[in-house]
Amino acid sequence: MATTFDADVIVVGSGALGANAAYELARQGKSVIVLEAGVRIPRWKIVENFRNSSKKQNYNSPYPNEAWAHTSYDAEYIENTGSFDFRPGMLKLVGGTTWHWAAACWRYIPNDMKLRSTYGVGRDWPIDYDDLEPWYGRAEVALGVAGTEFEDQSGQGGEPFPPRSTPYPLPPEGKTYMFQRLQSRLRQMGYNFIHEPNARVTAPYDGRPACAGNNNCMPVCPIGAMYSGVVHVDHAVKAGAELRTDATAYRLEKGEAGRIAAVHYRTSKGDDVRLTARYFVIACHGLETPKLLLISGVANSSDQVGRNLMDHSGIGLQFLADEPVWMGRGQIQQGGIFNWRDGPFRARHAAIKHAPSNYVPNTAVAQRLLKVGVLGSELDRRLRDEASRWVDISTVFEMLPHPENRVEPNYDRQDALGIPMLKVHYDIDDYVKAALPVAMNDFRNFVRGMGGELVVDDTGWQNRDHLMGSVIMGADPADSVVDGDCRTYDHPNLFLATTGVIPASGVINPTLTGVALSIRLADIIAREV
Amino acid sequence: MRRLAAALFAAAVGAPAAMAQAPDPALVERGAYLARAADCTSCHTAPEPGSPPFAGGYPIPSPMGPIVSANITPSKSHGIGGYSLEDFSRAVRAGVAPGGRHLYPAMPYPAYSGITDEDIAALYAYFMLDVAPVHTSPPETELPFPFNLRPLMIGWNLLFGESGFVSDAGASAEVRRGQYLVETLGHCGSCHSPRNALMGEDRSRFLGGGTVGGWVAPNLTPDPVAGIGGWSEEEIVGFLRDGYVAGKGVAAGSMAEAVEHSLRYLSEDDLRAIVAFLKTVPPIPDPSLARPAYDWTEARPVAVTEYETGNGPMQADLADSGTLDGAILYNGACASCHGISGAGTPDGAFPSLTANTTVGATNPANLVLTIATGVDREGANGHAFMQTFGEELSDAQIAAVATHVASRFGNPDVAVDAAAVTELRAGGPPPWILAAAPWLFVAGAALVILIFVALLGVILGVILGRRHAAA
Repeated sequence: MATTFDADVIVVGSGALGANAAYELARQGKSVIVLEAGVRIPRWKIVENFRNSSKKQNYNSPYPNEAWAHTSYDAEYIENTGSFDFRPGMLKLVGGTTWHWAAACWRYIPNDMKLRSTYGVGRDWPIDYDDLEPWYGRAEVALGVAGTEFEDQSGQGGEPFPPRSTPYPLPPEGKTYMFQRLQSRLRQMGYNFIHEPNARVTAPYDGRPACAGNNNCMPVCPIGAMYSGVVHVDHAVKAGAELRTDATAYRLEKGEAGRIAAVHYRTSKGDDVRLTARYFVIACHGLETPKLLLISGVANSSDQVGRNLMDHSGIGLQFLADEPVWMGRGQIQQGGIFNWRDGPFRARHAAIKHAPSNYVPNTAVAQRLLKVGVLGSELDRRLRDEASRWVDISTVFEMLPHPENRVEPNYDRQDALGIPMLKVHYDIDDYVKAALPVAMNDFRNFVRGMGGELVVDDTGWQNRDHLMGSVIMGADPADSVVDGDCRTYDHPNLFLATTGVIPASGVINPTLTGVALSIRLADIIAREV
Repeated sequence: MRRLAAALFAAAVGAPAAMAQAPDPALVERGAYLARAADCTSCHTAPEPGSPPFAGGYPIPSPMGPIVSANITPSKSHGIGGYSLEDFSRAVRAGVAPGGRHLYPAMPYPAYSGITDEDIAALYAYFMLDVAPVHTSPPETELPFPFNLRPLMIGWNLLFGESGFVSDAGASAEVRRGQYLVETLGHCGSCHSPRNALMGEDRSRFLGGGTVGGWVAPNLTPDPVAGIGGWSEEEIVGFLRDGYVAGKGVAAGSMAEAVEHSLRYLSEDDLRAIVAFLKTVPPIPDPSLARPAYDWTEARPVAVTEYETGNGPMQADLADSGTLDGAILYNGACASCHGISGAGTPDGAFPSLTANTTVGATNPANLVLTIATGVDREGANGHAFMQTFGEELSDAQIAAVATHVASRFGNPDVAVDAAAVTELRAGGPPPWILAAAPWLFVAGAALVILIFVALLGVILGVILGRRHAAA
């Protein structure tokens, strides 16, 4: 064939998933171009932006939000038409949204991937845990995951689970005092605390220093101990990949025999560029990936692109314990209670995860006290006291995929490049609502077990920023966008590297699974190119 | 002794197979310790993680260009597996490989010339019997003309090929052991002694301070200001073993490698012997220095309110990372570990920037290169790590933050500009011989000079040889 291509593979998006796919392909000798809508800025500049920000609770505020590369907290950018304001933290810059995350690196357990056949609800994955297991191991090495191998991560207090073929690359960090106190007292009520495997390295690793407990994982790890996709962007570039910033993909062009022929991108100066490649990997977030497919009119013979949108929609609990627990030392989260991770109840209601947050609570405590008019030396005294006793539980539920929960291009609103913004319709489903009383009962137990004084247990539904389902994976091309390899059913050379492929949400943060799937699809492409 | 003789015999006849039948574990173990003390692995193992030990491929920085280390595993085809003890001895102690091929003095054979026969035999036994053979060859060293002419080393060797340093017969056994470790095995002078115009060690200024790849290898003589006269024995021992001692300094660059691969494995007695010897070296003062580099103990941080206004950057500024304001750069890049006050952490995991030779030095080279390339060092007390900033900061920004750090936590008279940073990152200013070589070549004078050097070497060699003979 005389046809020449601009690259073997073009990866759209330079977040953790795209960067890992790009690195694996470049490392295996393929020519790779990575397109990124945003810009590259150094970590120190983000730290500087954060320190100088007056909006420290807004995790997107230290990051550029350009008219040609919007972040998700831009009120204009996402229009919601459902009952829930779906607004996940999403960044547009080199490295992607893993610049701010909590770095949780859970694996799914086998039943999570067989939800329909085990419990009769939701969907099954077309691959099972054993298929994915080797790539979980590689993803853990890539991200530098610190974890403990001796716990039952299904939350039942049993033998180590799920099975692993490789050890965690790093040992877990020490338990914070708060974690120890909650674990010790709530264990007596039957709650199993599990350490959270996480991508904050506990020893120097891959050019990253060990976590020093800055407690600033969100909005930015100031020292780079916590993994960010930028690590593998740099690795990919060193391995020969080309990175193009300020390059927003706006159209995938269909070619012959059902293949994708080219990607078109636009720069902030208005330049349009067309690039050809043998393979394309779309890795631009669980909302933007389906948008790009829909505005391009590709991969949607199933009519499922953008549908089945899931987040681990959650609720929160805050209370004051009867003893100082000193929240805010070390990393911002360290583990959780997984008693409701798996069991026959999943036929009736959603799985539940409760995770104590560990951010410095001073702002939340002060806001509450000021709201009720506490001032002067009394404010100082109560701030010191209550900040030491504050406990914050972040709870998530397992959603099921519903075609009505969807993201679409918003043709009524365009960004500075003339590209449609986003429109989301999202309602919390009955499967989650059926689990609410169970979670509230746990809340009461937590407060009681810690001798606590309730502050808030009716936060309403909250975003958890875990995008799933929007380009759903499945065994049947009639109701699925991609197969078990993340290859689109409609286009053999188009792969999707996004947590949007995940068809059954479970209750665990999906990034590690996304990275594992991305490395896996890169291996598949590398064999074919 | 009989077993040693047997091993020596087996080695001398070049029969590793025979040795394998009756290796002397004690001899091999001693060879392993000596190989640590001589720090063979720092240069003979490639820098990439997981590289096979002693398989070569490390590009040793030299002003003439990188000199790639050889495979010294016992591979017969790609390493030194075919070497006899005599071959091994001649390569290590005289810089001449079998076949008469001259090694570049990046291999510190001038220092190793003092290795005893017994230790050479132990090293030989270790390399032949306890090192896994690796059947690959690293890339060839390619230096520019005229340095690619290895026979030039004949003349150079006559001038500088032997350490020529004889231990003081009246010194204590500890001092003599220390001298052997410092001068011969540790070849400390390779970096810490200045080099002359022809790149030989300047013996008159032994351990008076040198440079390597842009880094400053500090003055190790007992001068209280320019050297380490103000360091206690405990501090020196701790520094060698851990690569860090509070209130004094941090090992980075090649010294971090020396700690990681060599010094942290030395016995307490050997470390103390090193200190004992260093105390006897003639002090080399530097009249330009008023106080020791570690003696800047006062922090003068910029008030945080001057650069953190709390008003929030404007949207357009969020992506603008071009600032050359050292205080802003320090706040964003450095303060998360070293603190706004520069105090670091009490356990030294993040060292204080005050009372720190890297920061207080009059020559800012090590400060600049630490910022640019970070620190990655396994000491006896654990893994010290500082990430590199050479990719996230421009040379001008490294200059700005280095100047800020020096002025606020170290020597306020120190200032660095972007050009100096660029030059340091490229390996430092070129020596005379490199700068002069092209000109000499163009003038057609290179050959004359080289002949002159060779002749001079022969003459001096004869004279020195007579002196040796007389002694």
